[in-house]
Amino acid sequence: MSTERSLEIRGISKRYGETVAVRDLSFDVNAGELFGFVGRNGAGKTTTMRIVLGVLAPDAGEVRWDGRPLDLAARRRIGYMPEERGLYPKMRLAEQLAYLGELHGMSGSEARASAVRWLDRFGLRDRANDDLQALSLGNQQRVQLAAALVFGPDVLVLDEPFAGLDPVAVDVMAGVLRERADAGVPVIFSSHELELVERICDRVGIIDRGKMVACGTVDELRAGGQERRWIDVPGAPDDWEAGVPGVRLVQIDGSRRLFELDPGVDDQELLREALNTGPVREFERVEPTLGEIFRTVIEEAAA
Amino acid sequence: MNARFLNLGGTRHLPTTLLVARREVRMRLRSRVFVGGTVVMAVLVVVGIVAASLLAGKSTPVRVGFSGGSQALERSFTATADALGVAVTVSDIADVTAAKAQITAGTLDVLVIGSSTAPTAVVKDAVPSNVESALSLAAEAARLSDAGLSPAAIKSAMSLVPVQLLAPTTPKDTQNLLASLALGILLWIALGQYGNMVAQGVVEEKATRIMEILLATIPPSRLLAGKVIGVGLVGLLQLTIVGAAALVAVHVTNVASIPALGVTAILGDILWFLLGFLFYATAYSAVASLVSRQEEVQSAIAPISIFQIAGYLLMYASLPNASGPLATVCSLLPPFAPILMAVRMASSDVPFWQVGLAAALIVVSIVGLTWLAGRMYTNAAMRIGARVRFMDAFRG
Repeated sequence: MSTERSLEIRGISKRYGETVAVRDLSFDVNAGELFGFVGRNGAGKTTTMRIVLGVLAPDAGEVRWDGRPLDLAARRRIGYMPEERGLYPKMRLAEQLAYLGELHGMSGSEARASAVRWLDRFGLRDRANDDLQALSLGNQQRVQLAAALVFGPDVLVLDEPFAGLDPVAVDVMAGVLRERADAGVPVIFSSHELELVERICDRVGIIDRGKMVACGTVDELRAGGQERRWIDVPGAPDDWEAGVPGVRLVQIDGSRRLFELDPGVDDQELLREALNTGPVREFERVEPTLGEIFRTVIEEAAA
Repeated sequence: MNARFLNLGGTRHLPTTLLVARREVRMRLRSRVFVGGTVVMAVLVVVGIVAASLLAGKSTPVRVGFSGGSQALERSFTATADALGVAVTVSDIADVTAAKAQITAGTLDVLVIGSSTAPTAVVKDAVPSNVESALSLAAEAARLSDAGLSPAAIKSAMSLVPVQLLAPTTPKDTQNLLASLALGILLWIALGQYGNMVAQGVVEEKATRIMEILLATIPPSRLLAGKVIGVGLVGLLQLTIVGAAALVAVHVTNVASIPALGVTAILGDILWFLLGFLFYATAYSAVASLVSRQEEVQSAIAPISIFQIAGYLLMYASLPNASGPLATVCSLLPPFAPILMAVRMASSDVPFWQVGLAAALIVVSIVGLTWLAGRMYTNAAMRIGARVRFMDAFRG
């Protein structure tokens, strides 16, 4: 498998009647990359994923894979976990996974072997001949992921794969996604668990009202934002920082204060001013979390 | 592709339509509905045929015993009975008391005592009317012979009034009518059952949301085609099993001369089933794709079911006169042809052009419906939730 291949979303738009679901959206997911897709409910994540899968036709734009427009043959090689989970409730696990494997182009024997392998991986081997409906919801979710993985997909598109999972299952799921990405598969998934996205994703796309408002590594997303510092100067007067331009007090925690620095402001100047007022017990650079970046970006987009 | 197709060693790649069809067949064959339904249908058909053969069994010969002087009547009685169309077997009776006991026991039907010119018939409860006539005529001839008439004169004096039958009814016709009716009901049940199965299957995939995964893999038209083919094959298998049971029953009970139960007729019925199934299955799947919950299936398919129920009623209305204008016109119309034409063909001779026209019309309708169903299914398949309006699904 070439590691140069990438999934390119090029200027896609989709409207439902008066509602614009996705507006001129473009981004890439490269081979070996775990791409987190975040946004509020109704922002257009599911619509985008459905367009990638060809389940929905875009009004404009196209999806390309490996330099070519994504056709049916290429789409059959995408592993998909829809937001609305769905499998046959009255079909045996192994049989169901093997069937989906064959639908995606595997031979019968390959599909059966792969079905057993993935059930084994998710600890469901002894349930192989049970109907799906006999499983707990968490286990059904594992089968759903196995359904997306069973045929060895070239691309993975997962809509909210972590929703409803217990912490152990989250770790298993995250491990599998990382492993697939490391094997050279572009993985795109949506989630509201921003901490998790920050922890495991290589790159993040933030979508708001159908538009991509930020896209890049978490560090890149931080770069444009405000710098923050925690400073603890126990004996200082209340407005000791007033002499430093471009600095705003954000939060007070006992004698500790959190300041936000405008771009270009030298934090050493703030530190010197602090030292002038008294002994500095703490001086900490604070990285904004993805959650904070997300809120900032969404607010800016709204303004 | 073909080479791999022929490789049955488990590494073959089937076209997606056939994969879908295979899943349908496997899942359905495993279901209790299929196994139970097949057993019930086969039992009903066999019981019907056995009952028909028992009805036909009423024409076993009437056993008539002659004692004493009446024995002289045996030859002329047999000949007369034969002319009257009643089968009899005659025997000589020596012990009248024992013969009466036989009549009471039901091993002898009629005992004739007395002389040849004045015989008396002894029966258990009633004497078959033709037997009574034959016996009276035989005694009359004996009296005329005693009076000195020559056999030729007696024959001319006693000749029966010739009867010309314009539309003869035989027991076989009644059996055939019953067989046609049974066939019509069977076809009607099969069409309803398998049409419904396709509709339920379409909605199941929407209701369980697996539709989205499937449509991300294969085009809607292939999914629909696979489903229709799979369910159709299951229906065909069931009808073949029932048909085979019918043929075996016919062979064993020896009522094979009933045209509706011949091999060609059964093959014809299977063809009509297939045409009817394709017609109703595509129509059902189109309307079923508009809804997302199993509870809504029946109301969604109601506009189509009405045609099926009308077909059932028309079958009863047209059976008494299978060549009349009502039967003829309705059996040409695609929604009714699968049942009415099959029933008409079983119960009477239908002109070839009518059969051909009915088949051509339904094939054309199936092509049109397939186009319509494919369009509606494609547009409605992903709209899960509220019922999709017909025109929205049609326009897309």
